[in-house]
Amino acid sequence: MYTSLNNRRSFIKKMAILSAMTAAATMFPGIIFAEEQERNLPSGGDLDWKKSPCRFCGVGCGILVGVENGKAVAVKGDPNSSVNKGLLCVKGYHQTMCIQSKDRLTHALVKMNGAYVKTPINEALDLVANKMKETIEKHGKDSVAMYTSGQSTIPEGYVASKFMKGAIGTNNLDCNARLCMASAVTGFLTSFGADEPMGCYEDFEHADYYVTWGNNMAEMHPILFSRMLGQKNSRGAKIIDFATRTTRSSMASDKSILFEPQTDLAVGNAICYEIINNGWVNKSFVEKHCNFSKGLTNIGYGTEDKFKFKDKPEKINFDEYKAFLEDYTPEKVAKYSKVSVKDIKYLAAIYGHPNKKIMSLWCMGVNQHTRGTWMNNIIYNIHLLTGKISQPGNSPFSLTGQPSACGTAREVGTFTHKLPKGVVMNPKHRAKAAKIWKVPVERIPSKPTYHATEMFRAVDRGDIKFIWTQVVNPLVSLPKTSRYRPGMEKESCFVVVSDVFPTPTSDVADVILPASWHIEKSGLYGNSERRTQYWDKMIDGPGDTTPDAWMTIEVAKRMGYGDLFPYSEENHAEEIYNEYRQFHEGKKHGMAPLEVLKKQSGVMWPYVDGKSTQWRFNSKYDPACSNGEDFHFYGKPDGKAVIWQRPYEPAAESPDKEYPFWLNTGRVIEHWHTGSMTRRIPVLHKAMPHAYVEFHPDDAKALGIRNGENIKVTSRRGSCTLPASINERGLPTKGQVFVPFFDENMLINDVTLDSFCPISKEPDYKKCAVKVEKA
Amino acid sequence: MKKLGIISLFILLFIGFITVWHFSYKQGLEEAYVPITEEETIRFIPSEQGVFRRSEYALDYAKMPIDEEHQRSLVDYYDNKAFHGAPPSIPHEIKSEINMGGISCLKCHENGGYVSIFSAYAPVTPHPEMVNCRQCHVPQYTETLFKETNYEKVLAPLVGINNAFIGSPPVIPHQIQMKENCLSCHAGPSAPKEIRVSHPERVNCRQCHVLNNKEIKDIGNFKRNNNE
Amino acid sequence: MPIISYLAHPQEGKKVELLEALSIINQCEVIPAENKNLLIVVTDTNTDEDQESLKERIEAIESLKLLAMVSGFNTPKNI
Repeated sequence: MYTSLNNRRSFIKKMAILSAMTAAATMFPGIIFAEEQERNLPSGGDLDWKKSPCRFCGVGCGILVGVENGKAVAVKGDPNSSVNKGLLCVKGYHQTMCIQSKDRLTHALVKMNGAYVKTPINEALDLVANKMKETIEKHGKDSVAMYTSGQSTIPEGYVASKFMKGAIGTNNLDCNARLCMASAVTGFLTSFGADEPMGCYEDFEHADYYVTWGNNMAEMHPILFSRMLGQKNSRGAKIIDFATRTTRSSMASDKSILFEPQTDLAVGNAICYEIINNGWVNKSFVEKHCNFSKGLTNIGYGTEDKFKFKDKPEKINFDEYKAFLEDYTPEKVAKYSKVSVKDIKYLAAIYGHPNKKIMSLWCMGVNQHTRGTWMNNIIYNIHLLTGKISQPGNSPFSLTGQPSACGTAREVGTFTHKLPKGVVMNPKHRAKAAKIWKVPVERIPSKPTYHATEMFRAVDRGDIKFIWTQVVNPLVSLPKTSRYRPGMEKESCFVVVSDVFPTPTSDVADVILPASWHIEKSGLYGNSERRTQYWDKMIDGPGDTTPDAWMTIEVAKRMGYGDLFPYSEENHAEEIYNEYRQFHEGKKHGMAPLEVLKKQSGVMWPYVDGKSTQWRFNSKYDPACSNGEDFHFYGKPDGKAVIWQRPYEPAAESPDKEYPFWLNTGRVIEHWHTGSMTRRIPVLHKAMPHAYVEFHPDDAKALGIRNGENIKVTSRRGSCTLPASINERGLPTKGQVFVPFFDENMLINDVTLDSFCPISKEPDYKKCAVKVEKA
Repeated sequence: MKKLGIISLFILLFIGFITVWHFSYKQGLEEAYVPITEEETIRFIPSEQGVFRRSEYALDYAKMPIDEEHQRSLVDYYDNKAFHGAPPSIPHEIKSEINMGGISCLKCHENGGYVSIFSAYAPVTPHPEMVNCRQCHVPQYTETLFKETNYEKVLAPLVGINNAFIGSPPVIPHQIQMKENCLSCHAGPSAPKEIRVSHPERVNCRQCHVLNNKEIKDIGNFKRNNNE
Repeated sequence: MPIISYLAHPQEGKKVELLEALSIINQCEVIPAENKNLLIVVTDTNTDEDQESLKERIEAIESLKLLAMVSGFNTPKNI
């Protein structure tokens, strides 16, 4: 907002407006004056600007795409979106460039005699439907499976769920959100009985401290980090970075605390110990609104096939919990967690401070963890003990990674055990689904079958003979791809892959279906703060590309289930959403009608009487609270949240003599997940052309490794060769190496271990043991 | 008898006292053990740290007016450099040949400001932690050359052509070594007018602006051996 | 030549009427907030008397609940 000094009047006017805006922002945090921003944006000439949520991360920024002559030629942030207020990140600004890539899949390809033959899409869909029918007849309903995504739109997820569970009658449906958010979900369900964060992004404008637990927000949720930095500058809020690696986020934080991998469980418990022993517990809140429970311990790591686990919760009381925490005094925990006693007490003092508002933020560091559910519970324990929850600024906020892991995977329920409302195990939920889907209730199976990792193990064993993947690239994103790639290549399984670009997964496919990209179809996404956003189709896709939802519907029709999918091709997204809405009616989960979603940049659910519920469980803000108290955790039958007693247990595979380094994997800001889209965007590829392995300078010196040298990283499962990076983008602690996983030519997931949290079944990509040597 | 009883009572008490004291002393020792942790040898990532420096002034930068008469342009900026990326020569007179760092150069160049003798704004240094300024920055005392040279100045990166779309954030067209701090050159009255940013209050610059300067081998267009 | 900025709070549900009423007045600029019931008003007049009468005009608007001054600048005549 620049004014020239020469024109003093207009400069003074600008100053006056600025002070008024600042005054307004202090009175009403979250206020937007969009027109002012729009005036200052570069004029787009003749462009037609249409709104949409961003294709990438779970922040869910609103974007405006400039369309000219049927092509998307510009992207800018939507100033009307309260999420990002007109700001984007480098991936968001350039996202539409990927569809111009020369190797875009434009036609269906069918593998015949080892080579891929271009096939008209209708024939390819016929083949898929026939093969599916054949497989079901010969081997039963549970021999076919579908694997969708947290990047599928809500209609795509809904149709997949209806097809597999309502039409065919199998629970063989899971999605890649199992690999990113499953622990967050089980954390919510065990602690509160209801999924998804109780706060919203407006908490950023109220909190005094932001504590990030094992996540690098400056690169992974950049818009939210910019909001935090803005609050740091204007209100003096403080950012505390608690991680196993020094990153760009640590550079901007007020304090950076490093811990030994896996010991976040112990440090969390030590904070609870400090809170209880210093008298910082909010006694009335805990008495009125919390129960105490404990579960089983020594629960295993899931590395064997057909691993089964069921937790046995047991009620305990406050004194037993307090006695349990005696093992987690800061002095004891400091010995093995490499966090000093002073730092643990500092963190505890922040949480325990009666007048400060704290926001805890976490993502993959806590969720992709062999005790991910436990770690989620522990962070909620801290907030429940101090009563700092469900209020503006006091918010344990579980950030989502994918754009619609909340909207599609968790809310529509594209998991083996879920239905759009509730779970398959519950007869009342099955009855509701059967009524809305208009299918006989006996058809919906009551037992969950395979979660993601187990599904691909079943493919490897030969139990699944047909698998259809949509919007996902498992042969780069699964752990231990060294097992699952040969598994998918086997003759025994017929693989159908729907994607926009060729990937290592489509390399093993028997049929490749060309999918439409984001703005080439209408759809809806739901972001981390429970905000559902709708977009209209903006441009036509090339060749035979078709929306995934429509391809599922076409296959369903060919298999004889056409009457269950009576939607039109032009409007199927809208019709499907209107049907899906019926599942969530009510004050606890009501979804906004489509007209509202079309007009506004996005609306949060529960949407009750024309208003979004911003803070759940707090009767001041949430109309679904019905017990007359100031807090009502209505997810649980008795209206109380649960504080879980969870111990520290070591990782599945810790470094030892033979494999002396921890391997941590993660992402970089330039690339999205497996890179199939972002590597085809020239600006992003040139900024980060390939993966690398990060070393601590002392470790590199001891091994004689120089920056850029090729290093072979080996584990008990496989190896990967990458160039070394020392003190460049990130700095791991001593004895740890870090590799980003976006590069399909340097497949680090050949090296990782497919251990998972037994409760959530989410794999742990952050900890396994490797050795390094010069290549 | 009584005497013996009293004496033995006292002896017992004394022994009891010694035992309990000894026990609690040992306990105290154990709990008070704080292991000595080695100081971390290196903690910072040079290329990442600079972007957040001076961010505490970001809001001030946003509200600063522009002095159009006294601002400089990119031509001025590159004028006293041998090539883009070179340390600029000192264009003004220097009082003393010996002084160093904070007591001489940083007085004006750490935070900038208007200098009326030169009718200009002092440029802000992106690397104030390097205090031996005269190691790289030297004055030019004469206009003439010793011998003629063939040296030709390389073209500096241009402004305005680095965006992928209209309105998208331009890539960083220059190396950032020694210039990790964006705000020092891209904001404020001393910024060259072509590169002064419209949004200095957004301090996480590298969220939208990336470098495109890595040496890359063209690995082809992801051609796979199964597509025709 | 005073330049003054205010925060204007409309009566319940009367944000749009207030916006319209203010837009008619020549010497003031209005910026409505998108998501809250608040408007920013900036007045730019030649003399103090004009400013006083303009302020009274604004305060007389029915749909206005409260006009709160945020900042004021008095600029000398020759600029």
